[in-house]
Amino acid sequence: MKQEMSDPVMAFDGNELWTIHYRVFRYKRSSGKPHYDKFNVEIAPHETVLDGLEKIWAFQDRSLTFRHACHHASCGSCGIRVNGVEKLPCIVPIREVTRDGGTVLCEPLRNFPLVSDLVVDLGQFYRRLEEAHFQIIRSSEPIERDEHESSNVHTRFENCIECGLCVSACPVSGTDGLYFGPAALAASWRMIQEPRGVDPLSVRSNADQEHGCWRCHVAFECSEVCPSNVDPAAAIMALRQDLLKRKLLRLFQRGDHDRA
Amino acid sequence: MTEHEERRVRKTLAWLDMAGRKAGTWAFLLNRLTGLGLLLYLLLHLGVLSLLAMGEMQWDAFIALARSPLFLVLDVVLIFGILYHGLNGIRVALVGMGIGVRWQKGIFWTLMGLGVLLLAITGWLVFTM
Amino acid sequence: MAEKAVQSHHVVVIGAGSTGVAVAHDLALRGFAVTVVERGAIASGTTGRNHCLLHSGARYCMSDPVSAQECAQENDVLRSIMPHAMELNGGLFVALTEEHRAYKSRFQEACQTCGIDAPWLTPEQVLALEPHVHPDNLGAFHVPDGVFDPLRFCLSFLATARRNGADVFPFTRVDELIQRGSAVEGVKVSDLHTNRVRRIEADLVVNAAGPWAGEISAMAGLMLPMDPTPGVMVSMRGRYCQRVINRLGMPSDGDIVVPQRETSILGTTSWSVPRADTIPIPEEHVALLLERGRALIPALAESEPQGIFTVARPLIHEMVKDTRQVSRGFECFDHAAEGVQGLVTIVGGKTSTSRAMAETTADLVCSKLGIQAPCRTRETRLESYRAFYYT
Repeated sequence: MKQEMSDPVMAFDGNELWTIHYRVFRYKRSSGKPHYDKFNVEIAPHETVLDGLEKIWAFQDRSLTFRHACHHASCGSCGIRVNGVEKLPCIVPIREVTRDGGTVLCEPLRNFPLVSDLVVDLGQFYRRLEEAHFQIIRSSEPIERDEHESSNVHTRFENCIECGLCVSACPVSGTDGLYFGPAALAASWRMIQEPRGVDPLSVRSNADQEHGCWRCHVAFECSEVCPSNVDPAAAIMALRQDLLKRKLLRLFQRGDHDRA
Repeated sequence: MTEHEERRVRKTLAWLDMAGRKAGTWAFLLNRLTGLGLLLYLLLHLGVLSLLAMGEMQWDAFIALARSPLFLVLDVVLIFGILYHGLNGIRVALVGMGIGVRWQKGIFWTLMGLGVLLLAITGWLVFTM
Repeated sequence: MAEKAVQSHHVVVIGAGSTGVAVAHDLALRGFAVTVVERGAIASGTTGRNHCLLHSGARYCMSDPVSAQECAQENDVLRSIMPHAMELNGGLFVALTEEHRAYKSRFQEACQTCGIDAPWLTPEQVLALEPHVHPDNLGAFHVPDGVFDPLRFCLSFLATARRNGADVFPFTRVDELIQRGSAVEGVKVSDLHTNRVRRIEADLVVNAAGPWAGEISAMAGLMLPMDPTPGVMVSMRGRYCQRVINRLGMPSDGDIVVPQRETSILGTTSWSVPRADTIPIPEEHVALLLERGRALIPALAESEPQGIFTVARPLIHEMVKDTRQVSRGFECFDHAAEGVQGLVTIVGGKTSTSRAMAETTADLVCSKLGIQAPCRTRETRLESYRAFYYT
């Protein structure tokens, strides 16, 4: 019985097993230039891209570094680029990105400092989220919601899982390192909508900067890759509209008198 | 190259990193390129207009050049740039003010459809008139 | 000063799962110099893949009252020290059949004994709170369960430990224990960011490697009777309940739906494997979870799985056949009893009780090093999880 269990093959998809060529980005601080390593992995089509990386780590190369924790798109730590596109590999089945005998390209997220292999430094990203005062509700009472909604926009844990995929996909984040990025701006908009004790004016003035919401170039790539349906692009546009309205209002009021 | 310069080059090249990106970034890139193109055209245009000050001969020679088929193709490229930059600009301006955000993809492709139509008509006019 | 005496002691903690991070926090707060080494990412082992239930204790009140009481106490502590990493939404223990309802009085008494507040709700009250629970339910207990985010849980502990001077090294694998004679005096590690090897000397090493703890203690020639006991979980797209929905009865396979963000996590099963890395998922476990989850919440039939995952519980082997009866409690070993000084191993337990496990471990560390420093983790508010990344 135990013998069977140790077989690293899952029984779904009629025991079908594919051979997949993983091309994995490699970089170690001490040893020279970034390069790609190739690994052949036996994997069932319903298993995930992350399962394959774990197999490479377990059976072929224990020095491979990649982040992962929850394996169900909730912790936001495993974000990489799969075949060039930002994804959480924990919820991407192999069959969704390639075929038997095909290649899966795994690269670290763009627009973050590289640490090693598939690991990037998210420090600045988290600092910006913190600066937006992004937080979950802390009261001990549950939120009562509309009974007939099976799914709601605002859960206690915010839908943003802070994975960084949006920043990696954003063309502006690539060229402007000071740009706050989609996640922090979407977080700002959430805090303005529902301030939870935070001063919305300070969140507004934080977003209303050269490298804040005005730096966005409306490419909408963030919303394309977001694994949690946060739709950061729409949030940035809403933020702009809100700020624009306020600015126009102030412009007209200034005619009357300076009321500060 | 210093490290700072190297980073600058890398950041500028990040413009052209299209791997895994969708229509949104293509639209953004094309908008930048057409913007630069139009700026270049504006400078050329001012230069050409200054030919007028140099007398009739130069001007007539230029007009003859402007009627060559190659030049007409360049005219169509120019019209493409104007149409793309202008029409995409409408979308960016609207969506950037929070108008029609939900339908931005539809707005984009509708405007692009309109652009293709206008380009076909103006292209036809350029070569036939 | 006594404080200085503590700081001159260096403790290496192996493993940055919920146990290791809580131990690091506790020791750092007591004034020790602490270094955490983790071979992978933070929470990349058992903790990361748990089903996110902040136990009220009710789940074990009938089967394991000691664990249940511990859970109930820790639930209160965690609520106050890391509110930013949890959703305090409560839970229901629902009776779907007469067989389930037969547990009613036993459950009620067990909850009372363990100090868990658990009022009974009529079927109408249940449906008013949770409209997607099976309409033919026969009532439910309301308990103070919650949902936490396992990664943020660990990061909060580590951010606070770091604030108190701890060094944290993820992607740093222990290759060997440094030993003088049989006494452990540190660890030899590979930094996987650079592929460089280095030595970290320590006055004491705490082995908190979860289901892999046996591999670490084996480096010192010790036999640790681990029993990696995985459970399968299925994360369904969409949220169908606000509270944790449990099936009333003894803990068994497929008896819980934990809502997290916009997903519903169906848990769990239990079996035994020889090794804890890359465990294959038996298809029939998934089928069973789907079937039983839908019995609790029929609307789940509209949904589809978004993630299917499994990981080994770090349980201690006991010669029992039914893996569900393996103790969910924890065990803290001082290997001096087996002739190896300088090594303490902490295994078993649950994420919900990791603070208490850490307290016990740190008490043992103190007594081994002859230091008197009280535990202060009960009342110390933890840093934001984000602080771990940017400080």
